[in-house]
Amino acid sequence: MKIVDYSQNLALRIAIIQVIAYLVLFLLGVRLFYLQIIKGDYYSERAESQRVKLIKIPAPRGAILDRHGRILVDSRPTYIITLSAEEIKRINPYERVDDYARGLKLDKQYLIERLNLIRKQPGFETMIIKENATIEDIAWVEAHNLEFPELQVELRPQRFYPYGEVLAHVLGYVGEISPKELEKAEYADLKPGDIIGKAGLERYYDRYLRGVPGYRKVLVDSRGRIQAELEVVEPQAGQDLVTTIDIDLQIAAEQQLEKSVTKRGAIIAMDPNNGEILAMASSPSFDPNVFVRGIGTAEGRKKIEEYYTDENRPLLNRAIQGRYHPGSTWKIPLSVAGLQQNVITVKESRIACGGGITIGNKFTRCMGNHGFPALDYAITKSCDGYYYRLGLKMGIDGIIKMVEEFEYDKPTGIDLPNEKATRTPKYWKPYVERREGKWSDIRTVYASIGQDTVEATPIAMLRTIAAIGVHGKMYVPHLMKEIKPIGQVGDFPARPGVVYEISEPKIIKMTREQEELVMKGLWGVVNAGGTASGIRIPGFDIAGKTGTAQNAALGTKGPKDHAWFVSFAPAYKPEIAVMAIIENSGFGAQHAAPAVKGVYEAYLRKYHPSILGKQDERL
Amino acid sequence: MMAIVEKRNFREFDWLLLTLAVSIVCFGIWQIYNAQPTEIYWQKQIIGLILALFLAILVAFIDYRVLVYYAPVFYVIGIILLILVLTPLGVKVKGQQAWLKLPLVGQFQPSEFVKIPVLLMFAKYFNERNKFSPLTIKETLVGVAIIALPVGLILLEPDAGQALTYMPLLAVVLFLSSIKIRYVILSIAACLILLPLGFYIGVKTGKIKQYQVERINVILDPESADPRGYGYHTLQSMITIGQGGITGIKGDTERSQSALKFLPEPHTDFIFAVTAENTGFVGCVSLLLAYALLISRLIMGARYAPDRASMLFIMAFVGGLTFQIFINVGMTMGMVPVIGVPLPLMSAGLSSILSTFIAIGFVLSVRMRRFVNY
Repeated sequence: MKIVDYSQNLALRIAIIQVIAYLVLFLLGVRLFYLQIIKGDYYSERAESQRVKLIKIPAPRGAILDRHGRILVDSRPTYIITLSAEEIKRINPYERVDDYARGLKLDKQYLIERLNLIRKQPGFETMIIKENATIEDIAWVEAHNLEFPELQVELRPQRFYPYGEVLAHVLGYVGEISPKELEKAEYADLKPGDIIGKAGLERYYDRYLRGVPGYRKVLVDSRGRIQAELEVVEPQAGQDLVTTIDIDLQIAAEQQLEKSVTKRGAIIAMDPNNGEILAMASSPSFDPNVFVRGIGTAEGRKKIEEYYTDENRPLLNRAIQGRYHPGSTWKIPLSVAGLQQNVITVKESRIACGGGITIGNKFTRCMGNHGFPALDYAITKSCDGYYYRLGLKMGIDGIIKMVEEFEYDKPTGIDLPNEKATRTPKYWKPYVERREGKWSDIRTVYASIGQDTVEATPIAMLRTIAAIGVHGKMYVPHLMKEIKPIGQVGDFPARPGVVYEISEPKIIKMTREQEELVMKGLWGVVNAGGTASGIRIPGFDIAGKTGTAQNAALGTKGPKDHAWFVSFAPAYKPEIAVMAIIENSGFGAQHAAPAVKGVYEAYLRKYHPSILGKQDERL
Repeated sequence: MMAIVEKRNFREFDWLLLTLAVSIVCFGIWQIYNAQPTEIYWQKQIIGLILALFLAILVAFIDYRVLVYYAPVFYVIGIILLILVLTPLGVKVKGQQAWLKLPLVGQFQPSEFVKIPVLLMFAKYFNERNKFSPLTIKETLVGVAIIALPVGLILLEPDAGQALTYMPLLAVVLFLSSIKIRYVILSIAACLILLPLGFYIGVKTGKIKQYQVERINVILDPESADPRGYGYHTLQSMITIGQGGITGIKGDTERSQSALKFLPEPHTDFIFAVTAENTGFVGCVSLLLAYALLISRLIMGARYAPDRASMLFIMAFVGGLTFQIFINVGMTMGMVPVIGVPLPLMSAGLSSILSTFIAIGFVLSVRMRRFVNY
């Protein structure tokens, strides 16, 4: 080296620079080794997770059909507007709430709630902010594509209930799964934003109706724009549910409730031979479409709020969740139990009416003075005096035995969620004894005519009378007839069909003579000058029982009575059992029985038009 | 000109140095293509390489002593160009007015080219000083003054990254000009104390802007930095490099972070990440070895340089080169905050490649004249 001599340690200083340069490069190599060799797999995964996205393809939900295959619920394609998760991570969507609300005509409060929900659910890909988008909404989103790239228009099947308020309580409705529901085991395979059945059959048979969503595996760039489609997994549709409902009878039942004085109550029609529910109406009702469609609109949300706060409780399915004093309809099980327990016999069934009864110093009267009637006459005329004494003879233990025999101590087992059980002295006795020291006779008297400690659900009372009509066979009421199978789709295995299996009925044991005696009484109610003789249909003998549930405390003035009528027809070979309860309307014979007749007429028009024809000729 | 080149000089032509530089550029063109296959950057870079080769050979055949002699002229021209950048003739890209658009010449980045006159000025001034005495304060201040002017103008653009690359040039020149070791140690110690202190005061007084603070924080903890904000560049670059693994993804566009636009500026500032993604650890280590080889060859040239001026030029060039490699590659691997400095010979950009090849031309010229007596 030539210039080394000139300055201090020049060779050394050059060497130092050289070493520093090598060290720098070595350091970079070490870091490279760390990133590529040690953490290589980790970064590969991160790279993959940010470029590969799954886009869900929602599965069409199975349809719900009536017994003749007519569509009660199906899904129709609608446009929805969604917020993309990828995009809203970049922006502050709260600042845009005003724009969204104005452009899409949405409720601002609703939007804020949605955004709050998004924050709590990190696993989502898109969140729906408007369902049932109109042409104007779609145009607005497209026009503001650059301004609001986070908004997207998608096509999605939406649940549609063509009959609106008709059958609403039975069908139920669907909705987006809630964070709370997501934690449940039965929804383990679901994700935020998935649609599930929230009430009624939609909920009860959700796992069949719900399909398996497919997905598109796509390659996205840094802005979330799709670059390529890597894989498509087609969704598997849900299974169709065929119900036992006859929509014509259902409409007839709804019309009867609509015609009633208070428009509050329930009507159920059932096939007594197997427990198939033909119609189940509860009034007031609600429109399930409001829950599906209205959740994003101000009016819809207001409507839903009203459903929840309305004191008439339109969301309550009165047929299975309403509890009413059964009044005189309670005399049916009491009559059978009296015979079963040998308190009365077919030969010796007479008990005094006495125009009422005195317990202690209190007189409880009968509606008339029936002398010393036999059982059939007591039923036909609904003699309270008779049953006061029958009840006392059976004693509270006898009545509780009856409750167990007729399974009033549990729900009927109908295939709907949240069915309520009837409440009887069996349930109340411990409470009463704790509070009053003992179970008094007057409570037994009241319990004998279906007041006070007896609160029955309409479905339970219909099940009782239906059983009397078919020799004591008490079937489990049900709405499912069949679930249709669905074939294999891709890797999703075929799902087999299900046919409702009618379980062995509980038998109410009666001798032929006992049965005939009770039947004679029930037949007489309509056909032999009994309490409901006004609804007689010649050629189609109805056997039934009226009931009037007192609402006011005895002896005081209060809300009007609930009117009951339970029945089946034709009397000795029943095809159909129908009950009605009209809240706060008055006497059963006057308000409930005509409603039941209306349903029978609809039934006859459809299945036996000749019977009605003869009737018309006679008129 | 060819006439003055003696036959003997040709034998001394450093083919290895030029081949190494050209190889790295070719490797870079491949990576530019991987980064932006649908754009024309890689084609432009090929044209740049041809131009650069021509310029390097042209410079090689000029006697470097002539270049050193006229250093002040080049320096003045450089300063004029940097002033012109700040006039309406300058072109603003992404908030930085760092480009100059001239008729016939086209668009270029003067801050890249001005390094050459600065190196020549250093070579000229520090060659002429008294070689046997330690560096005086006056001499040090002249050295500072030489870079202060261009650095000041570059900071006005503002292009802090480019301005920073001038610092190692001065450091190397001072270090090799008999500066006392105790001053070196003192200044290193001062840096270690004053940098964090200055940063702290800067943050407190608001002189250092929030985004600059964020960029520093990203380095300290890239995983917890906001992945959508300032941490985005660093994190995406680290993911890109990491995904390369041992042998790389070999141009698979369905996996490429640059093709899917997760990696920003893939053909310029983040070309190393693209290289890492496509060629893996094997390719990157090869590249680092090539740089090491290039630096060795340059330092060898400095060792055998016939005079102090050329030695200083080459060593300062080595210092600048090493510094840029460290800043750029370190930035892509999350070791250094994001600073817009191109990777020499790799990043797409004519100004960078031309200026580097002019410097290499100078080194070739020195090599060819190493036995010349003066």
